[in-house]
Amino acid sequence: MIIETIVFYVLAVVTVAAGVMVIASRNPVQSVLFLILAFFNASGLFVLLGAEFLAMILIIVYVGAVAVLFLFVVMMLDINFSELRAGFLQYLPIGAIVGIILLAELILVFATGAVDIHVPEVVAVAMPAPDEVSNTRALGNILYTRYAYLFQGAGFILLVAMIGAIVLTHRQRVDVRRQKIADQVARDPKAAITLKDVKPGEEGSWKSD
Amino acid sequence: MIEFSAPDYLTALPEMFLATVSLVLLMVGVFVGNRSTKLLTWLSVVAMGAAFIMVLVGSHAPSTTFFGMFVSDSFSIFMKCLVLIGAAVTLIMGMGYVKRESMNRFEFPVLILIATLGMLLMISANDLIALYVGLELQSLSLYIVAAFRRESIRSSEAGLKYFVLGALSSGMLLYGCSMIYGFTGFTGFHEIAAVIGHGGGDAHGVAPIGILIGLVFIAAALAFKVSAVPFHMWTPDVYEGAPTPVTAFFAAAPKIAAMALFLRVLLGPFHELVEQWQQIIIFISIASMVLGAFAAIGQRNIKRLIAYSSIGHIGYAMVGLSAGTPDGVRGVLVYLAIYMVMSLGTFACILAMRRRGQMVERIEDLAGLSKTNPMIALALAVFMFSMAGIPPMAGFFGKLYVFLAAIEEGLYALAVIGVLTSAVGAFYYIRIVKVMYFDKPTEGFDKPMGAEISSVLAVTGFVTLFFFVYPTPVIEGAQAAAALLFP
Amino acid sequence: MLLYIAPVFLPLIGAAIVGLFGRVLGDRPAQIVSCVAMGAAAITAIIVFNNVVMQGEVQQIYLFNWISSGDFQVDWALRIDELSAMMMFTVTIVSFLIHVYSIGYMAHDPNVPRFFSYLSLFTFFMLALVTADNFLQLYFGWEGVGLVSYLLIGFWYKRPAANAAAIKAFVVNRVGDFGFALGILAIYLTFGSISFDTVFAAAPNMVDVDLEFLGGSFDALTVICILLFVGAMGKSAQFLLHTWLPDAMEGPTPVSALIHAATMVTAGVFLVARCSPLFEYAPIALAVVTFVGATTAIFAATIAITQNDIKRVIAYSTCSQLGYMFFACGVSAYSAGMFHLTTHAFFKALLFLGAGSVIHAMSDEQDMRKMGGIWKAIPLTYTLMWIGSLALAGVPFFSGFFSKDIILESAFAAETGLGYYAYAAGIAAAILTALYSWRLIILTFHGKPRADEKVMAHVHESPAIMTVPLILLAVGAIVAGYLLLPMVGSHSDFWGTSILVLPHNNALEGAHHVAFWVKALPTIVAVIGILAAYYLYMTKPQLPAMLAERLRPLYLFSLNKWYFDELYDWMFVRPAKYLGHGLWKQGDGGVIDGIGPDGIAAAATAIARRVVKLQSGYLYHYAFLMLAGVAVIITWYLILG
Repeated sequence: MIIETIVFYVLAVVTVAAGVMVIASRNPVQSVLFLILAFFNASGLFVLLGAEFLAMILIIVYVGAVAVLFLFVVMMLDINFSELRAGFLQYLPIGAIVGIILLAELILVFATGAVDIHVPEVVAVAMPAPDEVSNTRALGNILYTRYAYLFQGAGFILLVAMIGAIVLTHRQRVDVRRQKIADQVARDPKAAITLKDVKPGEEGSWKSD
Repeated sequence: MIEFSAPDYLTALPEMFLATVSLVLLMVGVFVGNRSTKLLTWLSVVAMGAAFIMVLVGSHAPSTTFFGMFVSDSFSIFMKCLVLIGAAVTLIMGMGYVKRESMNRFEFPVLILIATLGMLLMISANDLIALYVGLELQSLSLYIVAAFRRESIRSSEAGLKYFVLGALSSGMLLYGCSMIYGFTGFTGFHEIAAVIGHGGGDAHGVAPIGILIGLVFIAAALAFKVSAVPFHMWTPDVYEGAPTPVTAFFAAAPKIAAMALFLRVLLGPFHELVEQWQQIIIFISIASMVLGAFAAIGQRNIKRLIAYSSIGHIGYAMVGLSAGTPDGVRGVLVYLAIYMVMSLGTFACILAMRRRGQMVERIEDLAGLSKTNPMIALALAVFMFSMAGIPPMAGFFGKLYVFLAAIEEGLYALAVIGVLTSAVGAFYYIRIVKVMYFDKPTEGFDKPMGAEISSVLAVTGFVTLFFFVYPTPVIEGAQAAAALLFP
Repeated sequence: MLLYIAPVFLPLIGAAIVGLFGRVLGDRPAQIVSCVAMGAAAITAIIVFNNVVMQGEVQQIYLFNWISSGDFQVDWALRIDELSAMMMFTVTIVSFLIHVYSIGYMAHDPNVPRFFSYLSLFTFFMLALVTADNFLQLYFGWEGVGLVSYLLIGFWYKRPAANAAAIKAFVVNRVGDFGFALGILAIYLTFGSISFDTVFAAAPNMVDVDLEFLGGSFDALTVICILLFVGAMGKSAQFLLHTWLPDAMEGPTPVSALIHAATMVTAGVFLVARCSPLFEYAPIALAVVTFVGATTAIFAATIAITQNDIKRVIAYSTCSQLGYMFFACGVSAYSAGMFHLTTHAFFKALLFLGAGSVIHAMSDEQDMRKMGGIWKAIPLTYTLMWIGSLALAGVPFFSGFFSKDIILESAFAAETGLGYYAYAAGIAAAILTALYSWRLIILTFHGKPRADEKVMAHVHESPAIMTVPLILLAVGAIVAGYLLLPMVGSHSDFWGTSILVLPHNNALEGAHHVAFWVKALPTIVAVIGILAAYYLYMTKPQLPAMLAERLRPLYLFSLNKWYFDELYDWMFVRPAKYLGHGLWKQGDGGVIDGIGPDGIAAAATAIARRVVKLQSGYLYHYAFLMLAGVAVIITWYLILG
């Protein structure tokens, strides 16, 4: 148990520290790298909780896809982040005060309220014991049955996100030549090339078609 | 293995129908291209109409499905009817604009349809996760349509601002939900209500403060969606920047759906905490009424003005919610119905503000409208008087019901502030009437304004003007819906 | 079912079509549409009358629930019983004839569609009033007719006098309507309902119930009935609230005929008759009704004999006749009142339209001193005016004879002090009625022409479109009395259950058994009045002037309408104006504008400027405010919760 506790604190501290660095670091590329670090540690926390499926998803989706995409974006776009952040410091004190107050309050609540927490006797869904059913299977069991409605709803949300991305960015560009395989294959050499009988030495007879 | 039995799909028939139709329409659009926009718009309207009928003929008895995550009852029926009417009408009246202002892409009606679907899911949500899914489905579609005119910087900016702030509010919502889940152990509304009803585990019968704080976060996120102060900041910018039909849609449908959700959440799972959340609502209500009244005064852009006005209206509607009684909720519902009609009419007028093919949005552009376009001027005057709450226009009755409910609960200060702010609000509403009727005429607006807009104007104007003659259907519907939330 | 709804809503449809599309349609189609709608309404109303009164098929047609607010339930329903069928019958027929007449009379007016739309709209409201099934619906019609009356009096809105008259009518009616509205509130307070059925059924149980008000306690039914009667007084231009009616003659003559003679002004009488189940249990209120009615009858007649404007004479005559109807109701002879209401509708409409025909012939001249000697030029109008006047004076076998006699006999048969007072006042008014009627005829048609030659050369009979309705009304004025006599017959059940008369109040039954002299006296005095008029204005035309000189104070008192206008001006108008002026200058301008609009406006703009400053456009400001809001609310809970 003690090892678990130690691992938890290590992971947690690194996660929070990386989170701070995401917004604190000057170089946006470094920010993204810190984000990836935070993701890794978070997935470690999931493993600690026995949620190995979520942990893997976090790494595959967030690190493998999202964060790498971010990385590309910040590297490709020439954005002066320090300029964007110019106003940030100006408001930092007041923002910090509000943030600290909020944090203090929440800690207070959990510190005092948590003592009184009366964990309900009835739990919504009986959780299968990790030894019997694997985490992934357990999720699958309820995801497509009990939570089918939410699953479909989430699917719709992703569809909307996709439509949105296309609608807002996709442009019909006219100056680009695309490959049209069918057209290319169907092209008849007779229509593309004309042969002319040119007598050598004759003047002005050369003409491209 | 988990026991699985197929849920009762019939309860969610309108939603499933809309979902299917939106997918089919999307496919049609993809294969036919932007030529099909008009067709898709009409088909969307028809689909909404069909869904409206399904909602109406569906069972009025409360029934849940999808393992209690989805509920259908007279409250959801009333709200869904409003939302569907609002969405269909905005689609119809926006058609001319969409066609002229380079928004003629087939995704537009599909997105509106999906947003409407999201609203229906919100209204029927009976579970924190279902609530979140519906809300996100709606919001995401709205972010996109707000930025739909991507060549316009204002439109893109509006979409982006809305998106970022919306994401923040979603974050708050999830944070709140997770706290509620943590403190009660449930996400279903009924179960949460049961846990809180048992005193939430506290020996004194007082809910733990953690639940309250979770509730604050949820309320803040919902207040953002209905644009109540202090979570309103996006409203003026987004209203002004978004394409006008989209703004009209924002004002009509999502507000109502979000308000429905607000009512459902506060009076469902957190019914026992009335005394606690009443304070938040009173605070939000007063702040919204005051800000809505004062900030609108200096506005020159009519869409911005309407944005502030809508903040104020939400404040008035909240007065009824503050009462926390069936009468108060009935007041809110009546208010929303009337507000939707008025705001549809007002936006129909704004959509008719076109001069030499260009949309104009400044209030000065309305000068002397009574001479150049008397019918629009008359209609707009009716809406303005109604929004100001002058009898016998419909708006008066909306205010009357909520204020009465507040007074019956002894919230005199709230009612007094409401009356005072509506007096201040009347100032800028009537200023518009003055500009239209007493200022020197400028060039008139383009004619004809289009059959869709004129018919929307005629119907909404008629309803606003003659609501008092036969208010019974709305009031009875609201009464039945409100009674349901007070078992 | 549809048959019973049709007469009420056909005029509304006509009004809507003509009012909304009149300008597009043009004058002629507008006239046709509204006349056809009215004609159809009149025909259906006759069928309804037949079904209800002759066959006794009383109907109550539920249309929809109007207001539903807690205990307060108001339905929109049509109550078609004998009383309302009778009123529908009268209103639609007279209205139809006047619609037709107006085609000719208003031919040269530039606003024909507007006129017809108002006229039809008026008819709708009047029908809504008479078919009302509860007090609120009645009030709706009541206010509706008041509104249209205002619009029509001020129809020629470019004339200041017409505007002033319209405002006066509206304001004076407001006094009455306020009483009526209070009456309805008192009814709801007492009975907990405003539906006729409930209220009337519960009335006998409420006899000793008191209303507590300002520490005093008053008999509920008496208070209710007197308040309702105040409403009736306003609408029916009874003594003290009569001042608007003569001025209302500024409106076009068909309007005067329809609204200010035949229908709207009789709404008060209808109200009292409709509420007979209440009034019967409130003897004090009945006494008030009798007193006011009798006083009006004589009072208005004394004014009518000195007026010079032909329409004003008839207007005061209307006032006086309404007085008859009220005191009939006051002695519980409601059916006699309703009978007179019906006959009066015909002959008074006839007189007004006849006067309109004269005015038309005289190139819009209304002053009788500038008429005379035209009877040969317009013989038809002349004859019709005679018929109208004979009916009005109550000469035997004309309709007024039957109705006026039964009223006077009932008053006598009531055998109360007030009954005798009413009888005496009625007889005195009858002499005066005959006198001013023939004064009108003689001054208008006989003697030397006093108009200038140009006008005289132009005198002509009106076109057929105007005279045919007149002739039909004349037929009504002659035969209506005889045909409708069953209304007041001994032991007749003409009215079914629509009018309630308690057995000990049954003056009408007594009226059939009074002494012969009581029955004969009205006829005798009418003949005396006619002869006196003939003597005064025909044989000795200089005599009236001499009499006026000799009795100057009395003459002036009558000519100036008992100085009521001056009195009201001094008592109400001036103080109100003074108060208004003071409040405007000092109160509104100084205090309220200073602190209020101007002050608040300045403050509001200042606040607005600051609020708008928050709206910087920067995302992080917005986001920050949201978080700060959450923090504030949570802090609030932690500290207070």
